Amino acid sequence: MVIPPLRRKVLRDLRRLWAQALAIAAVLAAGVATMILGTGAHDALSQTRDRYYEQNRFADVFADLTRAPLALLPEAAAIDGVLAAEARIVRLGRPELPGQSAPAAMMLVSLPAAEGLNQLHLRRGRLPDPQSDRELALSESFAAAHQLGPGSVLAVVLDGRRLDFTVTGTALSPEYIYALGPGEMMPDPSRFGIAWLPRAPLAAAADMEGAFDSLVLKLAPGASETRVIAALDGLLARYGGTGAIGRADQMSHAFLDAELRQLGAMARVLPPIFLAVAAMLVNMTMSRLIALEREQIGLLKALGYSRRAIAGHYMEFVLAIALAGILMGFAAGAWLGAGMARLYAEFFSFPFLVFTRDPQIYALAALIALAAAAAGALRAVRAVAALPPAVAMAPPAPPAYRQRPGWLATLLPMRQSLRMVARHLLHWPLRTASGILGVAMATAILIASLWTFGSVEQMIDVTFHRGERQDVRLSFATAQGPGALDDVRHLPGVMAAEPFRSLPARISAGPRAKRISIEGRPAEPRLSRVLSPDLRPMTMPGTGLILSEALAEALQVRPGEEVTVAFLDGRRRTVQLPVSGLSVGYVGLGAAMEITALNRAAGEGARLSGAVLQLDPAGQEAFFAAARAAPETGLLSVTSLALARFRATLAENLAVMISVYVGLAATIAAGVVYNLARIALSEQGRELASLRVLGFTRAEVAAMLHAELAIVVLAAQPLGWAIGHAMARAMAAAFASDLYRVPFVIGREVYATASLAVCAAALLSALALRRRIARLDIIGVLKTRE
Amino acid sequence: MTAEGAEIIRAAGLGKVYRSGALEVQALGGVDFAARAGEFVVILGPSGSGKSTFLNILGGLDTASSGHVWFRDAELTAMSERGLTLYRRDHVGFVFQFYNLVPSLTALENVALVTEIARDPMPPAEALELVGLGPRRGHFPAQLSGGEQQRVAIARAIAKRPELLFCDEPTGALDSVTGVRVLEALEGVNRATGATTLVITHNAAIREIADRSLRFADGRIVEEIANSTRKAPAEVSW
Repeated sequence: MVIPPLRRKVLRDLRRLWAQALAIAAVLAAGVATMILGTGAHDALSQTRDRYYEQNRFADVFADLTRAPLALLPEAAAIDGVLAAEARIVRLGRPELPGQSAPAAMMLVSLPAAEGLNQLHLRRGRLPDPQSDRELALSESFAAAHQLGPGSVLAVVLDGRRLDFTVTGTALSPEYIYALGPGEMMPDPSRFGIAWLPRAPLAAAADMEGAFDSLVLKLAPGASETRVIAALDGLLARYGGTGAIGRADQMSHAFLDAELRQLGAMARVLPPIFLAVAAMLVNMTMSRLIALEREQIGLLKALGYSRRAIAGHYMEFVLAIALAGILMGFAAGAWLGAGMARLYAEFFSFPFLVFTRDPQIYALAALIALAAAAAGALRAVRAVAALPPAVAMAPPAPPAYRQRPGWLATLLPMRQSLRMVARHLLHWPLRTASGILGVAMATAILIASLWTFGSVEQMIDVTFHRGERQDVRLSFATAQGPGALDDVRHLPGVMAAEPFRSLPARISAGPRAKRISIEGRPAEPRLSRVLSPDLRPMTMPGTGLILSEALAEALQVRPGEEVTVAFLDGRRRTVQLPVSGLSVGYVGLGAAMEITALNRAAGEGARLSGAVLQLDPAGQEAFFAAARAAPETGLLSVTSLALARFRATLAENLAVMISVYVGLAATIAAGVVYNLARIALSEQGRELASLRVLGFTRAEVAAMLHAELAIVVLAAQPLGWAIGHAMARAMAAAFASDLYRVPFVIGREVYATASLAVCAAALLSALALRRRIARLDIIGVLKTRE
Repeated sequence: MTAEGAEIIRAAGLGKVYRSGALEVQALGGVDFAARAGEFVVILGPSGSGKSTFLNILGGLDTASSGHVWFRDAELTAMSERGLTLYRRDHVGFVFQFYNLVPSLTALENVALVTEIARDPMPPAEALELVGLGPRRGHFPAQLSGGEQQRVAIARAIAKRPELLFCDEPTGALDSVTGVRVLEALEGVNRATGATTLVITHNAAIREIADRSLRFADGRIVEEIANSTRKAPAEVSW
């Protein structure tokens, strides 16, 4: 096969300029990879979730209540728009785990009916026999954390009664893809699990014969969720209904939504940055290449090659680079995608993960990358086509520096070598600006990822060190009278105890409403404190409510205004309460009141839901043993364990994310700086060689080139900080949901670290030019005209 | 200035072989040469005769394959790359066929580029006055004619007060009228500064303005003529 000469030239050009081509391809690859990863992971997660929901008949509406007779079920099923209804018993119990002192909780759920909602996905063994009263199936992650499996024996304490079960199998449920234990910030399978067991034994243990305390509904397509919820709430009010919720407020679903939103943001923001920078690099490099080959172009035209053939030749060169970038991007995207899938598998309990290598995503990414490269080349290649052969064959006019001389010198007294650098940069303003913007993007990307560290530390500091300072939060299974606090105080190891009251309520202002828990606390709590936005502990007001900033924003209310509070428990009163103040809070939506004021507003006597405790470190073991044995104990939340889990999970996720972002930013910084350096060296090689002849040392000549790059890199930093700050702020806003909000704090160290990392990448790629500077042909330049 | 000064540069048995794969080209074969302070020497010879190689080695731009070169008591052929750089920086001025000016610097700034790193330079403006370009000091190379650019290059070469001034085809790219002006500048500078000046040229007529002329052929000096009197450049017929 004969390779046409122009094709051969493309191949040789690629070999000659491989490093520059690789740098461009790498930036392009980053764009392709993030596109595939972002879109791919987003699609994978949402498709997986959709298919899982579909296959396992995940419910649309969820309602908790105190107790309703099963006879009510047909009424619920008859609500307009309801396709199916399932009555369940859902109770929080406590697994007895020999060898684990940390308290654990277990959600006991009655098995769904054969064709019911929220079908389980069996992983091992079998589901419990509906007739058996001593069998259960465990959530897979909990079983794995405790090495339990079919045949294992597990005791669960429910309402003070100890029940022994045999594990028949492990399973997953669409209801608990993200299995967050009550009072936790991160899922921890060693301390929270789900057990599914036949209805009869659970009903017997929970005193629910002929009754249910949880109702899930499947809606007909197109049915109004709001209307169904309203009807259902009306139906369940008499039975202690605490307000039905749609999928959007269902814990597991909402967390998946938040994750999807983050992925979507990443897929929208990152790829365009990389593609734009790559297009810019293509433009710079092609313009220079074409300037160097001007005479060859003229010759080719004189020989009779058409404009189209010559333009096509340079396009081929660019497309070859683009192709390399696309293939690298495919590989990186697939590899990162697999890593992401592993992270998901760890974090979310899916029975399968639809991570199809959707050829459409790949094709689209490739097409967009090609388009970006071609767009970058367009201007330069058009100039080639337009060049008349006679003009092209003559060498280009030397760069005409014709500014009014000395205008720069009057501004700054500087050495001539620095003046050369400054004038060269100013002579190509567009290229210099592109370089600055490119490097700025690298800094911005780093800032947009690194700020999360400080933000997490702020969350931890505010939540655990200033706010929730208790060692343990003990929740009673059911609300108790005031005497219960004394009982708790007398448990071994307890040094201090503060009561709390937690009441579910629907809080509304005008058309805006949220379903939350209102926490009652002592007037001046010392352990579990509510903090004002300037992080000072707040005193609980005599009558009014303190809303978290997130809740106040959601309801659009300000201190001094009134909100309507409909209590969803006890006497279910609806009252108007003034908003007395705003508090800071990063997890969930919060509202707090003074405990007696809360009980008064709810129309209840002195009741408490539990107590927060400070423990004597030496007495912890004894405390846990005693607390577990106490019949009132419902749930024990240990602050240190929650914090440790929070840190560990975030550390793992952030480490993965940050290393990906650092790699991406380094790719941009190195790609931009290396290309700028090569172009500067190519344009000024002759001058620099002349300087060597005049007695400038290698180091001095290299310093000039490095000074040019340093100016670009340094000038890019403030711009990068500004862009990074804006990106981080937008990310914080994009991440905010009713589940959590991320405090937006960027310390100076974030800017410094980002800039240092970018400067290091720039330095490395500048050093890659050292050999080329050393090889400057100082004799050759004297014998030739440029 | 006469040719009575002390010997400033000397070459003995200077040889240079260029290797390209298995091919060996002898550019210089055993050249002996010496020049005294202030001497004006013209080097003639056809292309490929080795004259540029000779000048490059004397100027510390290239290294010899055999033989020795001494600048005063310092042996150039024993110096490191860095030593040669400092030699060029402190003692040698160069003028080339294509001027090699920095396009982004004005005439004055091009001269200042060198005076800033020299040990005992003259003020850049004074160097430009010496070549008659005082009024053009603020112009960029693109705004100067070829002859003017070459005179800036000469000013840049002598502003450091070099002991040696090496010129490779300084008039090669210029017409005769401009060439004469450049030669006058060189000659004037040679008299004014006492720099030993070696000029490579194709133009045999130029030899008459020198103290001495050498003719190169096949990597050797084949003819050496001393002039008892130096003609002025304007008297030379091209």
